Amino acid sequence: MKILSRVLLSLAACFGLGMAGVAAPSDSAPGASAPAIALDVSQAAPRQVEDSTVRAITRDYGRAWQALAAALGQNRADLLPEGFVGVARQKLSERIAEQQRSGLVTRVIDHGHRLQAVFYSPEGSAMELRDTARYEIQLVDGGSVVSTETVTASYAVLMTVTDDRWKVRVLQETE
Amino acid sequence: MPQPVCRGTRAGRARIARALAGCAAALVLMPAALAQEITVPHRVAAGAGVSIQTSGSGAATLYLVGPGTAIKRGIRLGTPAEVSGADLRNAGRYKVMVRAGGEAHTANFFVVPGAAQSISFLARPSRVPVAARDAISGVAFVFDNFQNLTTAPASVTFNLAIADGPSITRKTESHEGIAWTRLDSARKAGAAQFVASVPGVEVRRVVQQVASDPCELRFHIKPGKSGIEAETDPIRDCSGNAVPDGTIVTFTENDGRTRSTVDARIKRGVAQAQLPAAPGATITVASGVVAGNEVRVGGEP
Repeated sequence: MKILSRVLLSLAACFGLGMAGVAAPSDSAPGASAPAIALDVSQAAPRQVEDSTVRAITRDYGRAWQALAAALGQNRADLLPEGFVGVARQKLSERIAEQQRSGLVTRVIDHGHRLQAVFYSPEGSAMELRDTARYEIQLVDGGSVVSTETVTASYAVLMTVTDDRWKVRVLQETE
Repeated sequence: MPQPVCRGTRAGRARIARALAGCAAALVLMPAALAQEITVPHRVAAGAGVSIQTSGSGAATLYLVGPGTAIKRGIRLGTPAEVSGADLRNAGRYKVMVRAGGEAHTANFFVVPGAAQSISFLARPSRVPVAARDAISGVAFVFDNFQNLTTAPASVTFNLAIADGPSITRKTESHEGIAWTRLDSARKAGAAQFVASVPGVEVRRVVQQVASDPCELRFHIKPGKSGIEAETDPIRDCSGNAVPDGTIVTFTENDGRTRSTVDARIKRGVAQAQLPAAPGATITVASGVVAGNEVRVGGEP
């Protein structure tokens, strides 16, 4: 009977019935800690980026990704305003609405960002950056991870000052 | 004659185990019969639909995730799965995954932004002194029909015009979705129309050009009911524009012992103040960084 039960267990595993080989999502909020952000402003134009702005962008972009990870991981669009406005917020909200409809959740485990500022507006209220982001992304369907992928992705990012904070207005992955 | 496998002997159990192991192996190999491949284009224009080709047969689950999209639906392998343009409006990377029989196949494709169709325009400042160098900046963020940042270069025109005055036009190309310019303000005060445009679309902002600092600020005094009345000449900037009503003009009287200061607002082009009658005192006038003439009470201006 022992052998029989082992075989049955193996078969169950073969069919992905929630045993070995399938990582179940943990209860901890994904992306809860601030991701590592390295910001290079040496190429920014036409305005030079002030030290205080470097600190603010680094802090607020990290917060935005924390908000993104939490919102996609919990299907909560209400977490997005922490870091996103405008088009970026709208598109992420659409994604969350679709995830809810499909019974899906996306877990983002952030491994850090290399940011390069390419444009800083003359009056200092908008900045465009390129982000090379590294993260692990898991697609969870009904509590089971159906896909795990480690990604290095490039983004075009537009941040603007809103309510005394820098928030992401555009977050667009590029080839 | 072989023993029936259902018999509960030790040998029978071993046979059951072997048979089940064989079944398991066969079942593990079974997906080969459903072997799928996913074929998707590498790049798709935003808003265009896509047909996902799969090989194999039987039922499968299709997942499509991307910016603004997270779809899960059942499909038949070997039959193209159609994804509408409405699900592919947002530029970025999309991941397709087809799962069948415990096996998953994935493919990625990119949705790329379309041509410039809309502009988000930042014009600063909203109020600017006349004849100021590089005082006005315009930044245009160029988007396609679906609010994707248009990363391909687009021709953007900036135009700053004021009624009865010459207009300034700058043509530039957007770089990674952004075009910008810096312009001098005109010499004439008034509401300037600042327009950013791409072919077929223009966005307008108003920049209020106001008189600059006063030029040759002068005042005179005369006896008043309870002291001295000081009044400026009509206050204009160096381009001849009237300095706006409400601008603060400061009169200061100093008789060597006491000092009186009155902040007066320009009203109908001039500023007035009542000051104590202090014979021999000196009165000065200033507005912002501009100092005017000096008048001695009881003396010649």
